[in-house]
Amino acid sequence: MNKSKIKVQVNDLCKSFGDLRVLQDCNFTVEDGEFLCVVGPTGCGKTTFLNLLCNLIEPTSGEVLIDGERASPQKHNLSFIFQEPSAFPWLTVEQNIEYGLKAKNHDKIYIKSQVNKVIEIMGLQEYRHSFPGEMSTSAEQKIVIGRAFAMNPDLLLMDEPYGQMDIKTRFYLEDEVVRIWKEFKRTVIFITHNIEEAVYLAERVLVLTDKPAHIKEEILINLPRPRDVTAPEFIGIRNHITELIKWW
Amino acid sequence: MEIRNKLELRNISKIFLTRKSYSVAIQQVDLEVRENEFLVLLGPGQCGKTVLLNIVAGLLEQTTGEICIDGAPYSGLNNQIGFIFQSIGIMPWLTVRDNVAIGPKFAGKNKKERYEIAQKNIDLVRLTGFEKHFPRQLSGGMKQRVGIARAYANNPEILLMDEPFGQLDAQTRYAMQDEILRIWNENKRTVIFVTNNIEEAVYLGDRIVLFSSRPMQVKGVYDLTSLERPRDYTDEDFLEIRQKISDNMDLVLE
Amino acid sequence: MKGRKRKDILLNLLPLVSILLFILAWLVVSGGESSLIPTPTAVFERYLKLLEKPISKTSIPGHIWASLKRVLLGLLYGSVFGISFGLLIGWNKTCNRIFKPLFELIRPIPALAWIPLMTLWLGIGETSKVALVFLGTIMPITVNTYTGVRLIPKINIDAARVFGANNVQIITDIVLPSSLSAIIAGVKTALGTAWMVVLAAEMISAKTGLGFMIIRGTDVLDLPLVIFAMILIGVIGACISSLLTIVERKLCPWKSEIN
Repeated sequence: MNKSKIKVQVNDLCKSFGDLRVLQDCNFTVEDGEFLCVVGPTGCGKTTFLNLLCNLIEPTSGEVLIDGERASPQKHNLSFIFQEPSAFPWLTVEQNIEYGLKAKNHDKIYIKSQVNKVIEIMGLQEYRHSFPGEMSTSAEQKIVIGRAFAMNPDLLLMDEPYGQMDIKTRFYLEDEVVRIWKEFKRTVIFITHNIEEAVYLAERVLVLTDKPAHIKEEILINLPRPRDVTAPEFIGIRNHITELIKWW
Repeated sequence: MEIRNKLELRNISKIFLTRKSYSVAIQQVDLEVRENEFLVLLGPGQCGKTVLLNIVAGLLEQTTGEICIDGAPYSGLNNQIGFIFQSIGIMPWLTVRDNVAIGPKFAGKNKKERYEIAQKNIDLVRLTGFEKHFPRQLSGGMKQRVGIARAYANNPEILLMDEPFGQLDAQTRYAMQDEILRIWNENKRTVIFVTNNIEEAVYLGDRIVLFSSRPMQVKGVYDLTSLERPRDYTDEDFLEIRQKISDNMDLVLE
Repeated sequence: MKGRKRKDILLNLLPLVSILLFILAWLVVSGGESSLIPTPTAVFERYLKLLEKPISKTSIPGHIWASLKRVLLGLLYGSVFGISFGLLIGWNKTCNRIFKPLFELIRPIPALAWIPLMTLWLGIGETSKVALVFLGTIMPITVNTYTGVRLIPKINIDAARVFGANNVQIITDIVLPSSLSAIIAGVKTALGTAWMVVLAAEMISAKTGLGFMIIRGTDVLDLPLVIFAMILIGVIGACISSLLTIVERKLCPWKSEIN
């Protein structure tokens, strides 16, 4: 099997705020099209980590490279999904999804086909012309995810997007994101506190330590999809990761 | 030993009248709550669990049906019932100590007395040292502990908890679930805990009442007393029950 | 680290710089031959003359206090009434129905429009002036208090009721603290109105006060005097406003500051 090319390379990344060292010597790579999950104990600096990855803040030392170049929102196509749905309330579902593409000036035919593809995969056909405010929170989050994938980003960063939802809705949305990821084959870094979610979604899991955070362990997950949360292998991995970060 | 019912709900329903029509939040609920049990009310989001809890607390009036405590019907606010809201329920303009002392304050206790009670409960939830802090200086989990201390300070016989850990991240939730069980074990009383998280329900409850989505009805009652404590989230039996309940629960995409 | 400290010092100096620039601009504009604006030096000299020969046998602090007294008294009565009234119509549905429409009818009438009536009813002495300030201040204070009450999160009230608070306790322990910052914002606005009203009232009929100074100056085309009075008014108004901000910080230590 051909070795996939490396999409993201992080070298000796460190970040301090004054005297507070948040991240220390983070080194890892992400392959093109990989679904990577990052977990760590509460307050370990995951959000800072994310902000560094998309160059919203400057590292104290070290670098983040995408396709071999320094990560920058201007050069690279980066998509970010937050915990709160951030769909534009004044645009319809369709307009929301095509927003990123329009902003980067793609041609109309390409935009149309991308948008249609996303709407079909996410099952949003009947909501095409609805506004986000008329829809449920989970549906709104789907719009945001669809919008992000539609742009064919170099890197898609998701910061605990399902944090507040109930388990059933969570599993449903997790299946949705896996589905659209498989279709578009983008590189995804998904950050979460929920270990079960990480094991459910990831091809590989990075486990962070508490502040100053560095990577404790990388765990490859080779389980077939859709994953069974009651399967012994799943439980084994979940328990292992729990052991690594348990503070409660 | 005879199992006494601390609380009984009979034929409870709740209909909200809107300007143009009406909406049925609760269709029909009959429920028995045993003394000193940890009862979990589980249901999908927006199904009406909070409405039911507010009715039991006396903050809302039911459309039909009656509620009995120790066999005697009652209505309205009742000082035997304590309430733990989601974290924004504590007063931002009061310190931790004043927040916890609020029940005794309204009951007319003097400063010395109520601060003593407050201190005891602040120690109970392990927030010693934070008495003079304001809520904005506290983390989510700490704010919730203030809410718990506040409810306990009034020494209620029945404690209602409305998705108290809903705003917390998954790990802090685990920590708080252990906390609430520890506190409950130290002073046993009747607890009714509302949540939409199946894993949390199976971890905490002696029994779980599963509700449907609106109009709300009881879908099933699960007795978990045979599941030994402390429970293990990845234990085979735990996962089996969790799957069973999950299959039965309505998927409501809210 | 050093860079940030330097940046902070610069930021703190900016207000000073802008004031100095303003005075400089004033010097330039007023320096011209046919300028109608007195120079800063002229104003300063007028100030010195005032120290020797006070107007109406009252010293400068005396005039300041005359205006200030009217403002503070009017503001005090206005606050007491405004806050109570605002709480009442905010909290009680029946009172809201009865009084709010009336209030909304009276609100748009500027305080200054009341001058003729007040003068007729209460004469040209202190009472009518304080009454005018009162009228000017009750509007913003009532509105802000009312809004503060409406914006109280229901969950805080529910929590209080569940913990056994009776209606009085809810008002003193929940409603008041919760709406405190809105109330203080109302008082700040009312202060601005109060100043304006006092000066207008003094310009019409008074023997002391900063507004009176302005009118005196206008009568004899003593522009330096007018400008001097205006400067005093601006400075004192700003001082009181800052004082109110400090009071708010003391009274509401739980509010997170956005720097």
